[in-house]
Amino acid sequence: MPAFVIGVGKTRFGPSGHDIPYLAQEAMAEALTDAGIGVADLGALIVANFLGGPNEHQLHLNSVVAGLMPGVRLPSWRVEAACASGAAAIHQAVALLGTYDPILVIGVERLSGLPGAVLTRNIGMAGDVVLDQAQGLNFPASYALVAQRHMQRYGTTTRDFELVSLKNHANAQLNPKAHFHLKRVTQADIDAGATVASPLRLFDCCPVSDGAAAAVISATASDGRSVPVLGSAIRSDAISLSQREDHTTFPAAREAAEDAYRKAGISSADVSFAEVHDCFTIAEIVAMEDLGLAEPGYATGMVRDGQTAIGGSVPINPSGGLKAGGHAIGATGVGQVYEAVTQLRGEAGQRQVAGAEIAVTHNVGGVGGTCAVHVLGRPS
Amino acid sequence: MSTQACAACGARYDYALASCTLCGGALAETEAADAEVLAVTEITVPSLGHEEVPYWCALVRKPDGGQAIVKTERPVAVGDTIAARGSVAEVVHTVGIVGSGVMARGLTELMLNQGHRVVWVGRSLERLEAARAKVADRLGRVMDEDELTDAVSRISLAQDMGALAACDIVIEAVVEELEPKRAVLERIEAVVSPETLIATNTSSLPLDELSAGMRHPERFGGLHFFNPPTRMRLVETVRGPRTNEQTAALMSQFARLLGKVPVPVAAGPGFVVNRVLMPLLNEAVRTLEDGIAPAEDIDEAVRLGLNHPMGPLALADLIGLDVVVKIMDDLHGRLGDEAYAPRPMLRQLVAEGKLGRKTGEGFYEYVPPPVSG
Repeated sequence: MPAFVIGVGKTRFGPSGHDIPYLAQEAMAEALTDAGIGVADLGALIVANFLGGPNEHQLHLNSVVAGLMPGVRLPSWRVEAACASGAAAIHQAVALLGTYDPILVIGVERLSGLPGAVLTRNIGMAGDVVLDQAQGLNFPASYALVAQRHMQRYGTTTRDFELVSLKNHANAQLNPKAHFHLKRVTQADIDAGATVASPLRLFDCCPVSDGAAAAVISATASDGRSVPVLGSAIRSDAISLSQREDHTTFPAAREAAEDAYRKAGISSADVSFAEVHDCFTIAEIVAMEDLGLAEPGYATGMVRDGQTAIGGSVPINPSGGLKAGGHAIGATGVGQVYEAVTQLRGEAGQRQVAGAEIAVTHNVGGVGGTCAVHVLGRPS
Repeated sequence: MSTQACAACGARYDYALASCTLCGGALAETEAADAEVLAVTEITVPSLGHEEVPYWCALVRKPDGGQAIVKTERPVAVGDTIAARGSVAEVVHTVGIVGSGVMARGLTELMLNQGHRVVWVGRSLERLEAARAKVADRLGRVMDEDELTDAVSRISLAQDMGALAACDIVIEAVVEELEPKRAVLERIEAVVSPETLIATNTSSLPLDELSAGMRHPERFGGLHFFNPPTRMRLVETVRGPRTNEQTAALMSQFARLLGKVPVPVAAGPGFVVNRVLMPLLNEAVRTLEDGIAPAEDIDEAVRLGLNHPMGPLALADLIGLDVVVKIMDDLHGRLGDEAYAPRPMLRQLVAEGKLGRKTGEGFYEYVPPPVSG
């Protein structure tokens, strides 16, 4: 069954004084307006969220969102797959066309306002409670181990991480909905950043953001701005790094990418640009290799040559990515689709990737435990 | 953590499972072994349960190919060999507990919960049996039948100190008085090996006086747990004048093994917590005596204004007013500061037999919970 994104919406990612219902409604309203439909036209609703329970003591978010559309009793449920919740929900919507149509996907998350140690623990719930959490392996630490292994094996350097950070911060300055849209990050800022989990330092880490993103998925293109979903795939893997042989790649991402490319009938060479899950700078490098945009160990060469900048051969994260665009966890995978759609429609303004034909989004839960990849094409 | 491998197909699981998912084969525990460090990261941001930074997380590989994440408190380097224990429960100690009161019960529950064996010594076998039943009752709320049977089987009760001979660690938790504690400590020392860590759970008594009759006071220190020890995260690890470096380090290590946060303190009167707490409790009583506010309001003000989980008067009731007076008298005598002299109202309540929660009345009245059907 064909699938199209017929409307998208997104709040700004970043610290917000607004609660989950407000954020969800803002993204939803924009997506529905964009699609030219109302809530009564929807077939189903899927809400993606990660930490509503631990952070806000609020679960059952699909029903909270149902309260935003009084009297409209849609089929709805909540999806959770850690940081991949958003793309898991998009994948589910694509797979369910034929049963429901159109399907509204809303990703929403609030992360601000919690003591740092509590939030770090809660985000750590994406790792195994016994294998990882009990040993103090928080989230930055998991990716720090990936970084250490990548450095050992391929000679990747902390300078490569800095280049990823600088590039994504530069892109975020062009994106009014980015967490760090108004913050200019320079080499001096990066140099002053404290170590979080060696070798990762402050500016290697994405921020934690509040925000929401929404997409309306349908089997029928509604107008000339409808963006086809050419491939949608998801894979999972054991949750802890200690349960995997290779620590420099996420096999789940690799297999999801292969599956999504096969469904789309493309190869990695056809990709115009990608929105990848750069929760840490090392993750962007691993993502490029898992997506086949670079051979293992060679992503850093492209980073050093500037090929991943907006004007480069394969722009990575023109939105600023998670690193500088922000990471409103449950909303992130949907936000990546928002960016892909906006770019493919040629509506990305200053950060527009010229001639974008094929976009790839890559959303990761935990340290590669869940990976979802989407391939989107230009509207026809 | 349990690491199991399938005897038939070799699949490996880091979970306790009944059989292999892939082929249905039987699973066997893999052996714990030293492991090689593949990668290590120094972590400098605290998270809940891992507040003390920096610490290190190593990704290690065992000779049989199994891997694990291991937290260390010292830097390790790639290529180092370290002990890969999946979780604290894999290091099993035989812990001696002496006494059958509230703290002894709580400590026994904590040890069993963490997978250790307990040799529980008390003067009366009857009291020990009753205490064991209470511990089993509490464990039964968090364990299934098999786990409970296993946990209870790890307790052995004895009246004779000789039963402590095989213990790695012995914690004395008898009545909070100098002479009985001294006598017990000497008798413990007579039966255990010279390396065995002997600790007292005293909340205030001077360690050098407690260890006066010991032949090896260097392996003696204080492990001051807080009630209930299963839930309170702090352990004051008390170093007496003769406690050696190794014993101090061992106490911290053991506290961490139990999932607690050790705070090393010198053996001054009241250590840290009671020394800071008692003037607060006393002042709350004086505030009540002076008619500044009723008990409920004093507690409410302190709770909200100082962000304490519980007001001082309610806390005094929980500790027991007789215990509070005893600690204050002791600290007053040793520090000579009037701030520690128990207020008249405290003494009055104790004289009336109103000792707090345990007698149903103190600063507050406590209605016994209805017997549920």
